[in-house]
Amino acid sequence: MLEAILVVAFGGALVSYFLGRWTSRIRDYFALGVWIAILGMTSYLHQIEPKISTFYPGFLGYDLSLRITSLSWLFAVTVAAVSVLVIIYSFRYIKGHEKRNLFYFLLLLVNGGMMGITLSGDLLSFYIFWEIASWSTFLLISFNRGKALPAGLRYVVMSVIGSAAMLVATLSLYSSYGTLALSDLSTHLATAGGGYVIFIFLLFFVSFGVKNAIVPFHTWLPPAHSEAPAPFSAVLSGLLVKMGTYGLILIFYLIAGMKIFLGLGTGIWSFHYIISALAGVTIVVPSFIAVLQDDAKKTLAWSTVGQAGYIVLGVSFGTGLALAAGIFHFLNHAMFKSLLFMSIGTVERKTSTRDLNELGGLVKRTPVLFVVTLVGAAGLIGIPLTNGFFSKWMLYKTLILEGNPFLAFAALVGTWGTVLYSYRLIHNVFFGQLPEKYRDVTRTSFSTYLPMVILSIAIVFFGVFPGFLLGEINVVTTSLGFTPLDVQLWGISSDSGTVNTLNILAALAVVGVMVWYLFRSSAETTEVSQEDSYTAGAPVPQGRFTYTADFYRPLEKIIRPYLKDRIEDFYGMLVGFVGVLSDTVRRIYTGYVGTYVAYILALLAAVLLVQLGWKPW
Amino acid sequence: MVNPALLLAVPLALAFLIPLVRLVARGVVKWIPVFAMAFNFIASVLIIPRALEEAIVTEIGGFPAPFCINLVAGPLGSILSSFIALIGLLVAIYSFDYLREVPTAKYYTMYLLLLTGATGIVLTGDIFNLFVFFEILCISSYSLVAYQGNKAGIEASVKYLVQGSIGSSLLLLGIGLIYGQYGTLNMGDLAGKIEGISSPSAFVPLVLMITGLGVEAAIFPLNAWLPDAHSSAPSSISAVLSGVAIGVGLYSIARILFTVFGGTALLETLAVIGLLTLLVGELSALSQDDVKRLLAYSSIGQMGLIAFGLGLATGEGVTGGLFQLLSHGLSKALLFLSVGYMIYRSGSKKISDLQGSWKRTPVASLGFAVGAFSLVGLPPFIGFPGKFLIVRSALLKGELFYTVLVAFVLFATVVEGGYFFRVVQIIFFKGTGGRRLKREVAPVSGLIPLVVLMLLILIVGVYPGLITGLIDSAAAELTARSSYFTLVMGST
Repeated sequence: MLEAILVVAFGGALVSYFLGRWTSRIRDYFALGVWIAILGMTSYLHQIEPKISTFYPGFLGYDLSLRITSLSWLFAVTVAAVSVLVIIYSFRYIKGHEKRNLFYFLLLLVNGGMMGITLSGDLLSFYIFWEIASWSTFLLISFNRGKALPAGLRYVVMSVIGSAAMLVATLSLYSSYGTLALSDLSTHLATAGGGYVIFIFLLFFVSFGVKNAIVPFHTWLPPAHSEAPAPFSAVLSGLLVKMGTYGLILIFYLIAGMKIFLGLGTGIWSFHYIISALAGVTIVVPSFIAVLQDDAKKTLAWSTVGQAGYIVLGVSFGTGLALAAGIFHFLNHAMFKSLLFMSIGTVERKTSTRDLNELGGLVKRTPVLFVVTLVGAAGLIGIPLTNGFFSKWMLYKTLILEGNPFLAFAALVGTWGTVLYSYRLIHNVFFGQLPEKYRDVTRTSFSTYLPMVILSIAIVFFGVFPGFLLGEINVVTTSLGFTPLDVQLWGISSDSGTVNTLNILAALAVVGVMVWYLFRSSAETTEVSQEDSYTAGAPVPQGRFTYTADFYRPLEKIIRPYLKDRIEDFYGMLVGFVGVLSDTVRRIYTGYVGTYVAYILALLAAVLLVQLGWKPW
Repeated sequence: MVNPALLLAVPLALAFLIPLVRLVARGVVKWIPVFAMAFNFIASVLIIPRALEEAIVTEIGGFPAPFCINLVAGPLGSILSSFIALIGLLVAIYSFDYLREVPTAKYYTMYLLLLTGATGIVLTGDIFNLFVFFEILCISSYSLVAYQGNKAGIEASVKYLVQGSIGSSLLLLGIGLIYGQYGTLNMGDLAGKIEGISSPSAFVPLVLMITGLGVEAAIFPLNAWLPDAHSSAPSSISAVLSGVAIGVGLYSIARILFTVFGGTALLETLAVIGLLTLLVGELSALSQDDVKRLLAYSSIGQMGLIAFGLGLATGEGVTGGLFQLLSHGLSKALLFLSVGYMIYRSGSKKISDLQGSWKRTPVASLGFAVGAFSLVGLPPFIGFPGKFLIVRSALLKGELFYTVLVAFVLFATVVEGGYFFRVVQIIFFKGTGGRRLKREVAPVSGLIPLVVLMLLILIVGVYPGLITGLIDSAAAELTARSSYFTLVMGST
């Protein structure tokens, strides 16, 4: 079954490429069919006994294997579900682009690679699928030309550095313990010395941190996510970044185990606390950088960095509630961020801009798009009765309970930033004056709306019934050695506090009735045109009269000086240094043959002299 | 059963037959190298199973060793000669349409001589014979580099000639010193007679020989001829020079160092020099704007990586080095052949002029991407197992020194990724610069080699087990000195 999933995924990628050369319609439906089949197969594996199957015996002396556990199932099924939706969304989006077949091929390849990552039973398979996903991601990021090229290059160079770190860590584990199977390694690392564990952890942390865009490895993400084609931005933000999260959970809790992970160092100098602190920085700073962006997709991209911070904070904090919150937030983020990238992608396709200062007033032109974006933004902020509320609630709860006011405050401040940029996004795109040039914006097709509507329903559904997901997450955290949480369909209860969506629903219903009654009892309403609401009945002036530039000017004045990206400058310096080095080294080859002959004779003389003098050989 | 001597006799004879055939039937000429290399490929593949059981020692002229000139077709020799024949065959097919305007008869003669030289180097069991084949290889390369007759080609060729001749003289000096002391030129015999390399009488000839061979093997700092030569030659020749010739040079260094001298003490130095070569090659490639020079510098880097693998001196390190030798040969041949097409269509070697190649030459563009990804070491291409084996064996040594070296190797990989990914982006995603580019149908003879190479890179990348078994025994042959001696000299 596990092998079948991968065969279908990778075979499907190849077949859809060749189908596309024949007819594009069949290719679209074929790709969709492939991923619906994968989703079906993956769901079928729900709560199956953990099992391992070798799919490739003897690859360079290793047996490559696949493995399913409750943890990998949860990630795999998310990958499959989001992939299905993204493929539906791509139908319309990619029409009219060049190289459509290549797009589908690469998209399916990335998704297949991610299935492979989640289902890998040993670190070598993990590495192989990881690399396949990485290089196809690079090609997809570069897909849109122009500014996408440097973005893709930046991604791939950082990704190669991450993979190199992972390769060293993997092979080092092999040379120490003679095995790479995840199930065997967990028994071995328990006996390793602290220094060695930290060495391994750091290498893996570089690798997964790059993918998960944890500060200071985040610099690739904003340009990559904003320049990629919209369907792929959804995959990137919703899924691919979270492969880093999966890897972190794998290393910290599955291979090393909770005891080792939480036992490195003490107090604020413990390993997991330092990572939590980094995650805290990752929440706060990028969330406010997102506020200052004028590019809608860049806002979302920086928001992904910030939200990834919440997830990593949950994973690294080290309590059962925090881990559950981290995993829950990963699932939620996959839903709302894919949704937001899809909706902004649709806006961009309709208006051919994503500059927040240009857009406006689209609410009447595309009401469905407005509603789904609103739901997505609500989830992102974490408004009650959307899914984001629960994961954040759990995270705050455990941070406060464990006595970490600073981290809790960081999480809270990050949410302020989230509120600000989400509001700006909604406002600048949908409200305000409708610019003349967008008067003819039409609604988009069913296949574009469908995935967004499904996602927004999911956001609300899991916001009202978090128990569906929390039940699954509970199985995962329990399997990693944490005490189970008390989860109900309507919420979660613990000694320290209970949250129940029934109460919230009731409150909402009461308020709703009150508001409705208030409106009913007030004066008659009259329909006015969109512009009228801005001029309060006075004649509508010609041209533009609502401006959205410098939206948060006072705030910007205060925070801008603190948000200078020194890390990016530092990387720029490194790249510059390598460039200078390269130019210097190149000068060894002077182009003058006399020098070259001198090199030959000099080497000969040097070796002979050394031997005569010191006899090292 | 094929006599290994035929692997040399057939292409050599056919090479000199070409001018005659040209007088009779002009159209047949281009088929001769194809025929010769097809024969060589089939024959050497047929030899492999027997060579795996026991190396085939052919004593030419019927004299017993050490007096004869002998050929030793062990696992390593037969694998490498099949590999040379395979690349030779594919490039010969590629040359059908690649060379339209130039006089082809001389080209094919030289081309066959080059491959004969390379095959001779990997099969011979005699160091003077090694020198002779080396000269055949080098002299034909000098003339092929200048084949297009333009200024850059001739300049590169002369530079290559100067440095190559110095290398050859050093090699000959070394051989003379050896002969003067031990009275034999037979590698097997020498393997039995030379004990250790610390005495000047062994060390000096060893260093002379390695320096001489190092010029051809593109070891830093002996490789300054390479970027000019490989970038000015016709692309088909660059493919052979980069894919085969320098690899063969490195093979002969390994053979001399491991088998003849048993110079294990020098191996750490080889690893360090390999690493230096790797770093210098990759860093220089980073700032190139001529795509063929970029590939040439990348070849330098890859040779360094292979030397690093060989210098690790563990069985697996040598396996990794040899695997990378083959993997680099396939990938670099693919890269040069693909680039040859793109340059032919765009008329410029500048990287920035390759934009839009995806539209003009889709198969060649795909070939470039596959070759580039393979060289960077990404799965599922053939470069991944090669790099993986080398890194693994370095880490398995468990010494801090080698772990640090691995860090440098991986840094070089990042640099390599940096420039290769940039070119891939330009080829696929840069757009066409506003021009409308017509897609031209590529000739079949150009597509066959590209497709075959791509498939090989992918298939062996997914199933490295297809060749690691062979390479393991080849590595064993290379490092087991005493059994080589018994093999050649008999069990006396």
